[in-house]
Amino acid sequence: MGLFQKLVSFLGVGRKEVNVLVVGLNNSGKSTVVNNFKSDDDKVTDIVPTVGFSVERFQKQNLAFTAFDMSGHGRYRDLWEHYYKDCHGIIFVIDSSDRLRLVVVKEELDLLLQHPDICQKKIPILFFANKMDCKEALSSVKIAAALGLDKIMDKPWHISASNALTGEGLQEGVEWLTQQIRELLSVKN
Amino acid sequence: MSRSELSVSRWLEAHTDRGAGLTTLPRNAILTDIVGNGDYHLVITDLKLDNDTKSRLKVYKGTLMTHDQALSNTPNSVISFYADLNEPRIPVVGVACGSELFLYKNLKPFYKCKVPSCPLSEQESELWKTLMEKQDFNSEDIIKELKKIPFSLLSSRSQHILNLESPLKIEEYIRKYINSMPTKENVITCMSTIEKTTHDKYSVNCPIIGTEFGNIYILDPQNFSILHQANTCNVKATPFIIECSGLYDIEFRIIVACREGYICILRKGWLEGKSLIQITNDIVDMVLIPGDNFITVATADKGLHCYTKRGQKLWSATTTNSITCLCLVPLDHINMYMVAVGMKNGLIHLYHGRHLTDFTVAPDTPSVIVFGPVGQEENVMVIVTMGGTISFKILKRTADFSNRNHESVPVLQGKPLPLPKRSKLFLEQSLRERQSAVEIHQTFQQDLLRLRLTTARALVQNLSDQSGVGNEKENIKLSAQVLGLGPKFTVILTLENINPNKVLTGLSVTFHSNPIFYTLTTYIITVPLIPPSLSYKMETRVQETMSETSSETSVAELEPAGVKVIRVFVTRYDHPRPILAATINMPPTEFMV
Ligand SMILES: Nc1nc2c(ncn2[C@@H]2O[C@H](COP(=O)(O)OP(=O)(O)O)[C@@H](O)[C@H]2O)c(=O)[nH]1
Ligand SMILES: [Mg+2]
Repeated sequence: MGLFQKLVSFLGVGRKEVNVLVVGLNNSGKSTVVNNFKSDDDKVTDIVPTVGFSVERFQKQNLAFTAFDMSGHGRYRDLWEHYYKDCHGIIFVIDSSDRLRLVVVKEELDLLLQHPDICQKKIPILFFANKMDCKEALSSVKIAAALGLDKIMDKPWHISASNALTGEGLQEGVEWLTQQIRELLSVKN
Repeated sequence: MSRSELSVSRWLEAHTDRGAGLTTLPRNAILTDIVGNGDYHLVITDLKLDNDTKSRLKVYKGTLMTHDQALSNTPNSVISFYADLNEPRIPVVGVACGSELFLYKNLKPFYKCKVPSCPLSEQESELWKTLMEKQDFNSEDIIKELKKIPFSLLSSRSQHILNLESPLKIEEYIRKYINSMPTKENVITCMSTIEKTTHDKYSVNCPIIGTEFGNIYILDPQNFSILHQANTCNVKATPFIIECSGLYDIEFRIIVACREGYICILRKGWLEGKSLIQITNDIVDMVLIPGDNFITVATADKGLHCYTKRGQKLWSATTTNSITCLCLVPLDHINMYMVAVGMKNGLIHLYHGRHLTDFTVAPDTPSVIVFGPVGQEENVMVIVTMGGTISFKILKRTADFSNRNHESVPVLQGKPLPLPKRSKLFLEQSLRERQSAVEIHQTFQQDLLRLRLTTARALVQNLSDQSGVGNEKENIKLSAQVLGLGPKFTVILTLENINPNKVLTGLSVTFHSNPIFYTLTTYIITVPLIPPSLSYKMETRVQETMSETSSETSVAELEPAGVKVIRVFVTRYDHPRPILAATINMPPTEFMV
């Protein structure tokens, strides 16, 4: 039993769960994105930098999502790979205003795509070009080009520009992801 | 270091701007959390060396320049430090221009302090005093008087007069300033900061200033008054790099590199520094390695030298190109300090101690390198080149600096072997051995005999095993397999040449059996050449003759155990003695009812 399943069963989650991994560099807005998906009662107003990871749950079109919000800090990025095995989808959040670290984003994405638990799987990846409201923000097209997303042939992927503070662009992205996961699950069954 | 090892860089090329047009010098670029929100910015001076344009102070947020302001004079160095404990923690940025230190908080200038000017020489002050009183003079006489005083001791006003050509201009100049005494400006040549009471990222620091006339001032971080003042050395020495370790309140060492080639040390309470090291070649740059406080010095002759804090030379290395700047590269996550060495043509070598561990390249000769946090990223190297390019490199999270090559170089010789301490277990064991030596010996002998017996048994078992018979001298091995339930059998023989070098030739196999029991399809097989280490398989079909009588009458023909056998002989051509013989015990026919 993987760490992921252990956690899921520990939390008493039912079988219709799907697991998504939320990754990205620190300060890209992962926790803010995840916070936006939660129902209004669960939402937190103050988001502090995540240490290690945190587990969040939310519902979307009859699918119960368990989101693993990973810390993006350099020293915690090693943790990501332990969750690759058991996830149905990946949300990769990018701070589109952080031009300096776009190379770091590419490096981390390449490491993720080359990982043995990921490279064989047809796992959908949703990219959020977040912080689109910032004036230095790069467009999602430019980010897709900088990250070389067009070279991802064997996995469905999608990029949406987003503003996690207002929620703009998040719905569209998650609907795509939900659709992809649904298709994958129906193929398996 | 081999090429292949270096082929994958440990650095990510984050951004390069060839059009930045920056002109700067070492110690003119710092990385600091300028607004106090953890977003580290690059603060850098852009020197304009012609008289008409002013030098500028520029700030980069990430890769973008967000702030640009003019400076009153040519800047010399930039520092940043926490002046107080007030929240939010916003550092003060200090820029030295001429003899003044400009202090900024939140990028706004808030304070200016001036280094005390030097007293005039007696002759010069006398001269100007009389001028002031008389209000009348002869330029020729004044020039004559001024020339008596060494040029370097004059005030800049008097120096200027000596540089003027026409007597008319001189007169005009003197008239202009006749009503005031000249001052001798003490220009700031270098700056640094020293932690005041605690060692941590946010501790309060005191600025340290070095000047043209060899003074070292330690300033109060809040009101910028002089806390301590000292001379660099007992000889004429012009400081141009200051590095420090320790705490101002407790004990500290200030290491000062001087243009005259001295490296001086100044400690708490001292009014004058001492020369620690004297270098014959020009010093280009110097860094202090935290922890050991080793002093790493780059010289103009492509030399990189390392000294202990007491000034003993540890090692020297020669670089491939002339060095233009050094930069300390602290890697906190792996607890390692490296020194980046910027060289002509843009090569940057990274040294860990005396070992060259990594390299990277800049577009052209770097004029300043800084390493530290930028924005959200912790390990960023910013390089500004002589050509004005600014480039940002990020150290990969996965960068591995554990170098296998290091182990082959013995660093310290004549050190005793690291023998482990005698443990309690060891002492107990040796005591036990002394006390009951006889029992231990007997137990050992018993075990040894048992081992021998087991080995002998295994050998016998092996010899009696029919499946494989060998002749070691001839290097052949024979094994047989009987297939079938009867009355028809197939016997498969495998003859293996176990000699790895020689071929086997001229062998034949003969089957021998009692014709009362068995009829064989072939009795003699000539074996073809068997190449070294290969085997040859042959088979013969066996038919058991099923006469009731025969089985009763020929009991004598049976082997003692009562089983029927076929014998196999391997013979060499025209040799009467078989080189190998084996007996195959045939299984009894299973009669089906
Ligand atoms: N302007 C802007 N700020 C954002 C956006 N999303 C997140 N932030 C801010 O970015 C910071 C880091 O967000 P956080 O969710 O903690 O990032 P994480 O480290 O990836 O989990 C917070 O101060 C957020 O308020 C966005 O879309 N626009
Ligand atoms: Mg977070």
